[in-house]
Amino acid sequence: MGLFHSVAAFVSKKELFYKVAFASFGIGFFLHSSFLVYRGLEISHLPLTDLKEALAFFAWAVSLCFFISYIRYRIIPLGLFLLPLVVVLMLGTIFIKSSPVSGNLGSSWIYLHTICLFLAYAMFFVTSIAGVLYLFQEHELKAKKPKMFYYWLPSLVLLDDLFYKFLISGFSFMTLGILAGIIWAEQDWVQGWQGDPKVIATMVTWGIYLLLIYLRLIAGWRGKRVAIISMAGFLSVLFTFLGAHYLGGLHTF
Amino acid sequence: MDLVLVGLSHKTAPVEIRERVAFPEEHLQVALRRLQTEAELSEGMIVSTCNRVEILAHGQNIRSKIVQSIKAFLYSYHALRPPFLEDYLYSHLHQDAISHFFRVASSLDSMVIGEPQILSQVKQSYTSACRAGSVGKHLNNLIPRAFFVAKKVRTETRIGQSAVSIGSVSIELARKILGDLNNKSIILIGAGKISSLAAKNLADEGIQEFYVTNRNPERSKKIAVEFSGQVVPFEDLQTYLLHVDIAVVSTSSNFFILKKTDIEKIIKKRKYKPLFIIDISVPRNVDPSINELESVFVYDIDDLQSVITANLQQRHQEAKIAEEIVIEEVSNYRKQMSTKSAGALASNLRSRIEEICLEDLRARRSQLTDTEYAQTEKLLKKAAHKIAHPLVVHLKNPDENPTRRLRTMDMFKKIFKLDKEL
Repeated sequence: MGLFHSVAAFVSKKELFYKVAFASFGIGFFLHSSFLVYRGLEISHLPLTDLKEALAFFAWAVSLCFFISYIRYRIIPLGLFLLPLVVVLMLGTIFIKSSPVSGNLGSSWIYLHTICLFLAYAMFFVTSIAGVLYLFQEHELKAKKPKMFYYWLPSLVLLDDLFYKFLISGFSFMTLGILAGIIWAEQDWVQGWQGDPKVIATMVTWGIYLLLIYLRLIAGWRGKRVAIISMAGFLSVLFTFLGAHYLGGLHTF
Repeated sequence: MDLVLVGLSHKTAPVEIRERVAFPEEHLQVALRRLQTEAELSEGMIVSTCNRVEILAHGQNIRSKIVQSIKAFLYSYHALRPPFLEDYLYSHLHQDAISHFFRVASSLDSMVIGEPQILSQVKQSYTSACRAGSVGKHLNNLIPRAFFVAKKVRTETRIGQSAVSIGSVSIELARKILGDLNNKSIILIGAGKISSLAAKNLADEGIQEFYVTNRNPERSKKIAVEFSGQVVPFEDLQTYLLHVDIAVVSTSSNFFILKKTDIEKIIKKRKYKPLFIIDISVPRNVDPSINELESVFVYDIDDLQSVITANLQQRHQEAKIAEEIVIEEVSNYRKQMSTKSAGALASNLRSRIEEICLEDLRARRSQLTDTEYAQTEKLLKKAAHKIAHPLVVHLKNPDENPTRRLRTMDMFKKIFKLDKEL
């Protein structure tokens, strides 16, 4: 099912006829969503308890973000950047083996924690892509020799709006996710979770985004500088998400 | 009988020739009627714009004769003497005429490729021809089809999307920087003719706040009234630059009015809210290095021109896709038409064969009783249908290419003497 989704996504980015592509993406997204629900009913809790499921959920969250941003902003090239990640993540689910996380899985805090964080990560991904697209369009406009991106991409203001909205919502979800995680850890998890590498990495990531919001909101930074910080932020997200898995620690994903 | 297109355009004739053969709209009806009678055409339409004069016609004569008679009409109507136009006129026959006409309507043959006016001009010409009663079933099939192709080209390619004039390119750039231009504000620095023209273009896009400033307040007032804007003192320019989105500069000053150090401070205070500066003055009034500042975009007249050049190149790229659409549509159209006329010929062929079979029987009508006659007629009709059937099947073969089918049709027409028009 996931594979079908990734194939659809792959078609979307290659296909010239955007309507067809978007329809195929829509079908893929719908199938993926229904698969998540089906799997959830089958195991009678959210399918979000090992790395494999986490990757699939992350891919779904990125797709959701693409769906929302496409409906809202109609930026076609966004798919070109967002959907390959979906493909990579879905391929990841095929090759990665993992065991479920230990601890009390009956608590709903853990699900709130993971859902919020993955949505936040997906939004941060959109943010960094929006930053990159802003850079491309800014470069075209400064160079005064319009090439492909000038024609493809929407206005700077719109890209900035996309950047900002996803940054703020991503940050809100992340904060919510962290709080839920703390509550769950205090109630049901092992002692000394505060020293877990992933917990530390998450706090660093959170700090980076806090800084980014400050710079954007108070100093009005745009363009190159915020794009670079947002990319750094997303690298930190990737490190938090995947790096901590290999570093060991209490989080299995 | 055939379809023919004779004409001249900006590609073959200079303006002093084009203006000699143009048909003013008020004379078009008369011209169309004269064309039809003088050139002995069954149908005709005249497209006359500042860049082209073309006559699309359908006639019963052979092609070369139709072409000759149209040329003769052009000479006599415009009181010119041959061979005055010979070097400038081109003529296209049958499928080339269809293809040329589709290209013209799709704006692929225009001076500025993709410009939208030509389609409405062709539509107008068609309306005139309909009114004059000079179009019949052939052109009534072909011309609306060209409109369909033009629309298809416009929706399936980006041929008409990029801006190719100073005014429209300013708007395109403003949109690329600022997004929707509603609720945006603009300041006009200098109140020259060009800047008011640029202002008019931008005002048409729904810009809300309009400020005008000039060293000579009298002239700013005039423009301000025109666009219901507000005159602001030249000394306050820096303050207004703190919140406007677009600045159009066009003064006769010989030095930079906007300096880098000033704009650097301003943009910081604006919290890097994008500022688009269009400098149409020569010599330039805006320091070009301001473009290096973050969130400020400075375009002088040459920069606008270079965007136009790039946009034109993009249109030429899109034109390649459009040409393919036209080729496909010409072949579709020909297929459809040949199927249609093959169908008509087939039914004529059937009745002709029936006629041949019944000829002798009719001659002997008096020698036979009614029942004998009826029975024989029935048998002969059946035989006629049996003979006609394989011929009709061959004629209507949907896989046949239009040229070969036309040849077969001609052959059948000759053999069975089916020369009346189909």
